[in-house]
Amino acid sequence: MSDVVIYDPTLRDGQHAVRHQLGVDALRRYAEAADAARIPVVEVGHGNGLGASSLQVGLAAVSDEQMLSTVREALRHSRMGVFMLPGWGTSTDLRRAIAHGADVVRIGVHATETSLAERHLGMLREAGAEAHCVLMMSHMATPEQLAEHAAQAVGYGAQAVGIMDSAGWFLPPDVTARISAIRAAVDRPVIFHGHDNLGMAVANSVAAAQAGASIIDGCARGFGAGAGNTQLEVLVPVLERSGFTTGIDLYALLDAADLAERELMPAPPVTASMTIVSGLAGVFSGFKHRVVELSARAGVDPRDVFFELGRRQAIAGQEDLIVDVVAELSARDGRVAALQK
Amino acid sequence: MSLAAGVTGTGPDVVEPATVAVIGTGAIGQDLISKIDRSRALDCRLVAGRNPGSAGLRHAERLGLPTTAAGIDAVLAAERPFDIVFDATNAASHLEHWRLLEPLGTLVVDLTPSGVGQMVVPAVTGVRVAAGRNVNLISCGGQASVPVVHALATRFPVTYLEVVSTVASTIAGRATRLNLDEYVATTERAVTTYSGVGDVKAILNISPAVPPATFRTAVHARIPGADAAAVRAAVDEAAARVRTFAPGYEVTACTVVDDRVTVAVQVLAHSDVLPRYAGNLDIINSAAVMVAEQHATAIGRTARAEVAR
Repeated sequence: MSDVVIYDPTLRDGQHAVRHQLGVDALRRYAEAADAARIPVVEVGHGNGLGASSLQVGLAAVSDEQMLSTVREALRHSRMGVFMLPGWGTSTDLRRAIAHGADVVRIGVHATETSLAERHLGMLREAGAEAHCVLMMSHMATPEQLAEHAAQAVGYGAQAVGIMDSAGWFLPPDVTARISAIRAAVDRPVIFHGHDNLGMAVANSVAAAQAGASIIDGCARGFGAGAGNTQLEVLVPVLERSGFTTGIDLYALLDAADLAERELMPAPPVTASMTIVSGLAGVFSGFKHRVVELSARAGVDPRDVFFELGRRQAIAGQEDLIVDVVAELSARDGRVAALQK
Repeated sequence: MSLAAGVTGTGPDVVEPATVAVIGTGAIGQDLISKIDRSRALDCRLVAGRNPGSAGLRHAERLGLPTTAAGIDAVLAAERPFDIVFDATNAASHLEHWRLLEPLGTLVVDLTPSGVGQMVVPAVTGVRVAAGRNVNLISCGGQASVPVVHALATRFPVTYLEVVSTVASTIAGRATRLNLDEYVATTERAVTTYSGVGDVKAILNISPAVPPATFRTAVHARIPGADAAAVRAAVDEAAARVRTFAPGYEVTACTVVDDRVTVAVQVLAHSDVLPRYAGNLDIINSAAVMVAEQHATAIGRTARAEVAR
């Protein structure tokens, strides 16, 4: 039996699904439930991480500081995690989070831009926090590139490194190839974070664990952007049956998931038509709301918008491109309609 | 206001061109050298890097310019202080460079987001600066956004401002990557300074897209009761001013939905050495060279006046 550390970003990545509007009570109650289930790490923050509250991706209902202090107080056993994208948050945000009791800090970078994390990973090591690095939109890179970038992150001081399937694009063999390549390149714990656009999140997570990933992300009821993340209360028992030990209390985990469904989300995420398209197009799941909203206003097909964003290789954070793409498709549709008259 | 001091041409004629050194030989330094080389007002006497084998130093050699791999030390060792020193290194190095250069009375044109010197955004502040000073070009995102931000804030009751820039990965060098925190802080300071709005945010994305993404900046503003036509007119006027020295500056989107205004601009580079998508470097360097030419003209006049006496 090998151990897998379950990392729970329900209170961070789940924010995408509710436009970053989780309130203090909801944060506290879920953190208490996750703590009772002995989930090793509970991550909190704006969906795009520390310092990311913005019109570009959504203003948060609660300040970073308030989120951190609320969850810190609720956790007795679990460690508290935070997430930050360089260029969105800064070292000032990291220092503040550590002062508020963050134990694990993840720096997120696009899969081939690890050098953006050099300074922040170094700073975290000096500050004494556990520093992780995750490569986002990892379907846009080859296994070899990901291995090279993972090694680079370790060189900068990352104590764990891994990949996010930000668009929910992978199938299990894709995950096996990538985790194996990373495992061969680094001697640190490897992280996998799945999305469920094609209904593959749990299967992909098991494939990752079997290929040697030892930190696996899951969210209660799959709470997350688009079709959601790996459903935590399914992931844990499936991992246990596959021969991995998580140390999590099943009944308490199921209670936490029920509480999450009641108190965090209007409805659990599903693989709906739009999220399937988003996954197939290789577009970050967090784009969903804006694409649907702007497409409806302009009268264009949101599926065309997703595929065009994919063609332009939009990365997480480039939500401003949606406005341009919708305007272009709208003009094109107008021309087509005029020609057909 | 005329901004086109001839950056894309050959610059104003002066009695004696100002002597110039460039520190830093990354992409920004290389484009800077080419722009300076074309200016009649500026005479590049030294290109200082740190790595003898760097592509930037080889580029300078091909242009027939004196080069050194001794960095700031070589600049300080010159017989007479340079009239103008361009610093295209990084924010931390700039603090040290400024400490060493300040006593020499040199105009230091800072291309890093150190936030030390007097901020310049040509279309808003003009380019005239006091002699023997430190001039800061803020950031590419600052150069692209401040004209729009200023145009909006002077005409409408803006309550919140945010600027999001995207730069192609291939053109974001190591200094840019290490200086993201300074980029954010300096850009936010500039947006606040030239809008009077206290609640601001700056964001930078580095895009690995192939073919590379053209440099773009989105300005998001909260403006209660904004009128779409009036916003478009203000933004177009600002863009026209920027185009007098950065001709590739273009408004690609301008939408008003309820109280939320989104303006996106992209900048194509018009440069000998830069690819078209690298408008981030073109706009900041064009502004820097205009400042230097203005200074060269000013000190040239002083020299002429002294000769006449």
